[in-house]
Order: sequence, then C-alpha cells, then structure tokens
Amino acid sequence: MASRITAAAHDDRPTFQEAAVDIVNAPSTALSSTTARWFLILGAMFVLGVVGFVLKIVDAGMDDRASWGYYVAMVSFLLSTAAGAPMLSIAPVLAKANWIRPVMRISQLFSAIGVLTAIMSIPLIFLLPPLVEDEVRRRSIWFGSPAYFPHMWDTIAIFGLVFIGLALLWSSSLPDLAAIRENGGGRRQKWARRLAPGFIGTWGQWKALKMRMGVLSAFYFLFLVFTHVLFASDYIHALVPGYKDAIFPMYHALTSLQAGVASVILATYFFWKYGGFDRYIGINQMWNLAKLQFALSLLWFYFFFSAWIVFWYSRTPQNEKVIELFDHGPYMWAFLGTLFFSFIIPMWTLMWNFIRVSMRGPTILAVVIIFGTLLDRVRLTVGPWSIEDINEKFLTEIPETVWPDLWDIFMFIGMFGGAAFLFLLVTRLVPAVSLWEIQQSRLISKPAMYMRGEVEIVGKPD
Amino acid sequence: MRQGRQLDEIRINKELLNGALETPAWWKWAVLILFTIVISGFVVFGIQTNKGLGVTGLSRPVFWGAYITTFVFWVGISHAGIMISAILRLTQAEWRRPVTRAAELLTVFSLLTALSFPVIHAGRPWRIIYWIFPYDFARGLWPNVRSPLVWDPAAIGTYLTGSTLFLYVALLPDLGVLRDRTTGWKHAMYGALSLGWRGNPRQWRLQTVAGVLLSALMLPIFVSVHSIVSWDFAVTPGVEGWNSTIFAPYFVIGAVHSGVSAVVTMMALMRWLWKWDNFIRPEHFDALARLLIVVAVAWFGFTIVEILFSLYTLEGPELAFRDMQIFQWPWAGLFVVFLLTGFFIPVTMWLFKGVRNSIALMFWTSILVNIGMWLERFLIVVPALARKQPFVYTWGSYQPSIVEFAMMAWSFAFVSMNMLLFARFFPLIPLFESKEAMIFTTEMKIGRTTIPAVLREQE
Amino acid sequence: MAKTSILGLYEDPEDGAKAMDALHAVGMDPNDFDVLTGTPYPEGAFGEHVPQHRLFRFPVFGAMVGFTLAILFTAGTQLAWPIVTGGKPILAIPAMLIITYELTMLSAVIMTVIGILFESRLPNFAPGAYDTRITEGYVGVVVSVDEGRESEFEEILNTAGAMETKRA
Repeated sequence: MASRITAAAHDDRPTFQEAAVDIVNAPSTALSSTTARWFLILGAMFVLGVVGFVLKIVDAGMDDRASWGYYVAMVSFLLSTAAGAPMLSIAPVLAKANWIRPVMRISQLFSAIGVLTAIMSIPLIFLLPPLVEDEVRRRSIWFGSPAYFPHMWDTIAIFGLVFIGLALLWSSSLPDLAAIRENGGGRRQKWARRLAPGFIGTWGQWKALKMRMGVLSAFYFLFLVFTHVLFASDYIHALVPGYKDAIFPMYHALTSLQAGVASVILATYFFWKYGGFDRYIGINQMWNLAKLQFALSLLWFYFFFSAWIVFWYSRTPQNEKVIELFDHGPYMWAFLGTLFFSFIIPMWTLMWNFIRVSMRGPTILAVVIIFGTLLDRVRLTVGPWSIEDINEKFLTEIPETVWPDLWDIFMFIGMFGGAAFLFLLVTRLVPAVSLWEIQQSRLISKPAMYMRGEVEIVGKPD
Repeated sequence: MRQGRQLDEIRINKELLNGALETPAWWKWAVLILFTIVISGFVVFGIQTNKGLGVTGLSRPVFWGAYITTFVFWVGISHAGIMISAILRLTQAEWRRPVTRAAELLTVFSLLTALSFPVIHAGRPWRIIYWIFPYDFARGLWPNVRSPLVWDPAAIGTYLTGSTLFLYVALLPDLGVLRDRTTGWKHAMYGALSLGWRGNPRQWRLQTVAGVLLSALMLPIFVSVHSIVSWDFAVTPGVEGWNSTIFAPYFVIGAVHSGVSAVVTMMALMRWLWKWDNFIRPEHFDALARLLIVVAVAWFGFTIVEILFSLYTLEGPELAFRDMQIFQWPWAGLFVVFLLTGFFIPVTMWLFKGVRNSIALMFWTSILVNIGMWLERFLIVVPALARKQPFVYTWGSYQPSIVEFAMMAWSFAFVSMNMLLFARFFPLIPLFESKEAMIFTTEMKIGRTTIPAVLREQE
Repeated sequence: MAKTSILGLYEDPEDGAKAMDALHAVGMDPNDFDVLTGTPYPEGAFGEHVPQHRLFRFPVFGAMVGFTLAILFTAGTQLAWPIVTGGKPILAIPAMLIITYELTMLSAVIMTVIGILFESRLPNFAPGAYDTRITEGYVGVVVSVDEGRESEFEEILNTAGAMETKRA
C-alpha cells in the first residue's frame, strides 16, 4: 500500500527559535512585582509554620505522641503529593507517550519540595518511639532488628528519595540550563553557568543524559516504593497493636500517585493560565492527565476495599477495632471526606468526557483530590499516634478524636507556604516547560495530510 | 527497528485466512489427538461422579486441591485477553495488533474451562448449580450473597459474557471479509454472522469507539474478577497464609504474569503452525518480554510483601505454616521450583535482547512461567489446608491422584482444541488490524536517519 | 421517489477521494453518498461526512438498569429467606456491593454492544450496491440517486477513475 501522506499540513506550532525564546525568557521566570509579592506571602506562611512548630515543642514537648499526629500527617501528605508527582515524568515515558513532554518538567519540579519533606522528617526521628520500650518489643517489619532501625532506614529512604528526585530534576534541566547559560542574563545566567558548565549538546552528552535519566528514573521509582513501604509500616502500621494489613504500604504508595497526578494537574493549569506556556500546554495534556487521574481514583477504592473486605468479613474483635479506628470511629469525618473527595466525586465527574476534555474540570477535581488525600493522611496517622499503649498485643481501646490545635493549623499553613515557596523558587531558574523535550517533540511529530484528512505523524524512535 | 513489511490487502487476506479457508495438513491430527484427550477427560469425570471424590487425593483436612488450583490458574490465564487487548489498545501500542484476537479467545476458553472446575470439584455437581442459577431451589434457599463462592460466578460470568461480546464485535469486519471470500453454506453462515457489514466510515468509526469503550468497561471487570477469586481465600480467617489483605492485587498481578506468558506461548505456536512470519515478528516478542519483566518484578515484590506480612505477627501457627511451606519436603522442593520457573530463570533470561528476540527461547520461558504460576497457586492452597488445624488425625500430606492429573490434562486439551476449532472458521489474527497497521504505520526521516512512525488522527 | 444505489469501484484510494470531491461539488447531500473500504482509513481521508453517534448513552442506561436489577435481586433474595451467616447482617452492603458492581458492569457491556450494533446500523441484510473486491483493497463509492439520474452519476464516478460501476 503506497503511502498517501502528502506534504505537511498547516503547522502552527512554535518553531525551534520561538520555543527557545518563549521558554528561556518565560514571564514565569522573571521576578515581577506580583511574583515578589507571592514570595513574601508564601515566606510569611512558612515562617508562621516554623513558629507553630517551635510553640508546639514548648507547649507539648516531644514525648506526647498524640499531639504530634497532625505533624506526621503533614509529612505523609508531602510524601504523597510532592514525592509522587515526579512519577509522571517516568511512567508515561516508558509507554513512549508524546503528550507528556510539555508536562515532564512540571512534574520533576516537585522534587524541589522534597527539601521541605526531608527537613520536616528530621523531628520524626525523635518523635517515633523505639521498637523496644520497657523491654517490650512491638511488632514491626523489622522483627528482631535494633530498636532504632526504623528511624535510621526511614530517614535514609526519605533523604535518598529527595536526593534522587533533585538529581533527576538537575539531569533533565541540563540542556535548558545550558540554553540559559548562553542566552539568559543576570543571576539566572550565573546559576546556569554553575549548574551546567560543560553541556554543549554533543552526541555523547545527549546519550549520557538519556542514560542518566533512565537510571535515575528507575531508582526514583524503587525509592518511592521503598520510602512509602517503610513510612507506612513504621509510622502508622506498627503503632496500631494487632494491626496486620499487607496491602497498607501499597495503598499508601498508590494514593501518593493519585495525589501526585493531582498536584501536577494543578501546576499545569497554573502554568497554562499564568505562566505564558499556553502554546505548549493544552487540552491534550489535560485530557490525558485526567484519564490517568480517573484510573488512579478507581484504584484508590480498589486498594481500600481489598483491605476493608478482609477485615469486615472476618468479624473478629481485632479487625472490627481496626475498622473502627480508621473508618467509623473517631475519624469518621475524615474517612467520609476521603471517600467522597478521593473517590466518589472524582469517579462521578471524571467519567464524563466533557469534564476530562477541559482545562478547568480536571483542575477543580485535582484540588478536590488533594484535599481528600490530606483528610486520608489525617485519618491514617492521627488515630494511631494517639493510641496509649502501642506495645499491647491487640488494640483494646479506641482513642478519642484528637482535633488540631492552633500550632497544628500554623504548621499546616507553613507546610503549604513552604512547599509553594520552594516550587516557585526553583522555577525562577529552571523553565517550567522543558525546552529540549518540546523541541524533540517537534522533531518527531508533525501535522500532515492523508489524502483529504488531517493527521499527525508521530515518530517512535527506539 | 520496525521489522514489518508492507503488504497489500489481497496478500494479507490470503495469508491470514490460510487457516479458515483451507485446512492445514497438521490441523486434523492435532484436533483428533486433543479431542481424544478431551473425551478421556469426560470419561474420567464420569468415573469420578460415579465413584465419588475418593478417587482424588482430597481428604481431611485438604479439601481443596488440584481442582481449585487449576480453577484459579485458568482464571489467571484469562487475564491475558484484556491485558493485551484493552490496556494496549488504550495506550495505542501498535505492537498489540497481531495478538488481540488470540488473547481474547484465550480469555473466553480459559474462563469456560475455569468455570468447569468448581463443578468438577464438587463431586456431586447437581447439588451446586443453584449457586449459579439464582432460582429458588428445592430446599427453598436462595444463593448466599454474603459468600465469596457466590461472588465468583457473578464475576466470572460477567467477564466471560463481556469478553465474548468484545470478541464478536471486533470480529465483525473479518466476518465481512470471510463472507466475501466464500460461497455456499459458508457464505450464508458468515453473511448472517457479519450482520451486513459493509465498511462505511460510520461502521469503522464505531469499531474504533467500541474498542476504546469496551476496553474501558472491561478493565475494571478484569481487575475485579481475580480479586474476587482471591477473596475465596483471603476472607477466611481460620486458615494460615490465607487471611491477607494483599491477596487481591497479588492475584491480579500474578494473573497478568501468567496470562501474558500464555499469550507468548500462543503467539509462538501461531507463527510456527500457520507460518505467519510476516505478522508475528521478533519485535512483538521483544515488546511482550519487556512488559513481562515489569509485571514479573511487580509480582515478585508482592510475593515478598505477602510473606513478610504473614510473618509480621510472629504467631506460632503462621510461622509453622511458612516453615512447612518453604523448608519442609515436598513443599520446599516445589517452592524452589516455583521461584525458579516463575521468576528467576525467565526474568534473568528476558534481560538479554537476544533472548527476547528468539521465538524459541520466549516460547520455553513462557511455559516455565506457567509451570511456576500453577505451583504458586498450589503452594497457596494446599499446604495451608494441610496445617489448618494443628491436631489432625490424618497423617500424610495431599497428593493429586491420576484422576486429577487427567482432568488437568483435559483442561489444557479443551482450551487448545477449542482454539484450533475457532481457527478453522475464523482468523486468529485480526485482518482489519493488520491492514490498519499497513496504513497507520509509516516512516519518518530526521536528518540522515529514518525512524518508524505512526499516524494519529487529529482530535 | 424511489432511489437507486450506484457503486463505483476504484483501485486507487486517491481516485475514490476524487469521486467523493466530485459528489460534494455537485451539491449531493452528504447522507446520500458514502465510501466503502476493507480497512479503516484515517478519519476524513476521503473527505467524507464524519458520522456523529450517541453510543455513550447506551452504557449509562445499561448501568442504571443493571444496578437497579442487582439491588433488587441481592436484597430481595436475602430478605425472602433471611438466614444469618457468619454473623453478618441479612442485607450486608459490602457483599451486595460486589454482586451489584458485577451486574452493573455486565448490563453496561451488553447495552454497549447493542448500542454499537444499533449505531453501526446493523444488522442490515439489504445494504444496497456492494462488491466483494472492497475487502481486497478496492475502494467503493456508493451514491443513492433518484430514479432517472443514474447515468449522470455513473458518469461522475467514471470520470473520477472508476474501474467499474454497478447498480442495485
């Protein structure tokens, strides 16, 4: 069958030169008065969070486990949103998806928030009780290991994840930093010279870049799973006497993917609307992200139900206590919120094509899902952290509801402010849309006419 | 690198219809042998029904044995269809094209086979039919909706019906081709089945939409089926090694592992038997092997987590069960074989490009995987029951009898025979998918290099 | 007025596209002519009228029907002969949810398939002019014309390069 592809159809995509100018000099990278104002607001929020943290220590000390449940929930939330987001630059690439290219850098930028996650995880080392207390060892995945193994390994996992995420961000930004080094100005150019001193785009450098990104991506995925398994097991699972739930670490990891995608959708909308990237980010990206979001929301329910049905069916007193602690007991409000915001609302809205194929629809749902994830982390952590005797064999008493106090609210505000601050800060230097991915996308795809119909030819290099 | 050749429609029709319009010489002998095994299986079933379940190895406390293992095994194999057909269709993977119909067909026949096993296992099958048909049986009891054994037929029945309908809808264009290429009673048969298919843009558009929509509907069913089968075990608190929350995704990922491996086996056979070298190429095996590596590693991860959390509580009965399952003969031997055949040997081999592109090696490694996956289910079902109560007055462990082996052989023969019978009347490789590939795949020149490319319709 | 179906058969798809262009040019109603192919081409490749469909209503309707029937069945049967098993309530929502989910999906799939056939206008055992060579790579352009105008349209189809025309 002879090819019926005739010469190029009308191509209104930005040219190589236009893309270089747009992305290197994007308005979002300039420090306008609006941006400066936002930095001040977010900085102030973060400072408020630090104040809340200090006053929490003064007020409750580090020994009252129940007071720190919400703090642990914050770290869990950051691990679930910011740490899950970079997976979007990894998984679709394996499927050779072209649509992800404009969004890849946005997802990698979330690695910068890892710095906050790492800093916030340090107090957890002091908050988590050792495995052995009063010569009683509580059950954990560490079995007979030394008492401070969880503290050590969880910290290594979190810091390792953050490091790999930053390395991935730096690797992927190298060509763009080289472009800024040559064509930028001011402080950006100085930083670009430091971070991308020798990259000039030789064949060997591109090959090394791709290999490095492949290896870092694989490591990031492994570390993400590793971190979630450890965090969920040590900071939640092991604190509930008699709780045995093999799927719980996977649930924690999966929901982090759901929240990560939601975070990327939110950031994508922000850059499309206000970042000047509307020629690069569009309906195609949002539509595909929304499909992924829909699938992950369904998977939320699947992982939740897979555990829940086993506990419900057995009707043993221990399993009924676990269901009460997490679902219909003191944190029923959080559970219902999670059920609605992480599953019911996304499922009933994202199933409609007209919502998926829009810029605002998936964005609103992303906010809903992020809120649902926050409630989920609250229900999963605050309850276990308020259990009196964590070294019992079985859970006998369900603790009362612990409500956030003023310092917790300050810390929540500080967490959001600090995360947004770091995200905005890194975009001052690194373009939010990857110039080289856009240019490669332009190279391997082009509009064409097939007889009377418009098509797109998409190259599939090995 | 693209290995495909540009062929015209006449050539595609001729090559892919060589099984449906002509009878290959080997076909009759193969069907005869398989039919003999199938009939023998029915005879053995008759003997079992007459003599009772004592002819099997089942006895206190192991009341679930090779039959239930094989039931779960065939449900697992059935997951090939939707994995290949639906997921790869939704991700627009071009390399799915030659495989989709055979995978969907494998799903249908393996589900039918799977459904037979609870009936075979029951011993007195007329007593359990009421689980399946929801009518007020003579005893005045309705099926117990709270039992996972009632969830099973609902799920498997839904999956079977959906897969069959999906298969038929996707077959419509090819039925049109067969109608146009035949005369006499065959022309009338294909004409009736094709429902008057003409190939106008409306019908082609609906085919595309149907593929996507049915894939999207079948995917949640696909996940739910093996999860529900896993809950037969997982919701049971009284059996060590069974009461685990991870069983649902663990079984599903294991099903994908065994199902996709079965598809690899089937593709190799299709290429060799019908000489479809132009359509089933080493690049397809390479792509499937890469997918299998990811799936196998995920499955292995779930295996580790499942064992880790079963030991988590450090309770005596659970530790004793795992000790028996992993370190005591004969289970230890089976455990080692399961790990080697299910994961270590195949995955290690698949890491090498030479192996991934060798059809013979892919064929043998895929068979190894399914040996391992049958053993995995056996090791979940039987040792746990053997230790169900610490004090059992029956000493000695379970061993499948010749009757059970005969029924297992029957199941493999039944599936294979039905696939061959289907292939005699309908093409195993979708003609329209192959023709569509010729149109929608092209090449693109970038500088001095040429890369494979695909056409995407503008949305 | 009675209509006649005329088919023009083309070896080269480009000629089929030219025939479609010519039919557009003479002002034919897009619903009165169509292109038949043995393989799916990219949408709009022949300049054809892109068909609209309402397939998505079928699975929604099917799901609603399936859900309702499933709830009635699971609740009705358990209430008809209430026996407590495993300490669970007679109307055990999680268990009912599983069967309800399966029957909802089954009904959605069945209605989807019915919808596919309906929207494809199948079964249609009187399809008009057709040629079996279409499934061998030839392109057919079929046009439905008023009686008496057959020659005029056969001329249009032949001018575009038809190797054969036939009427039904």
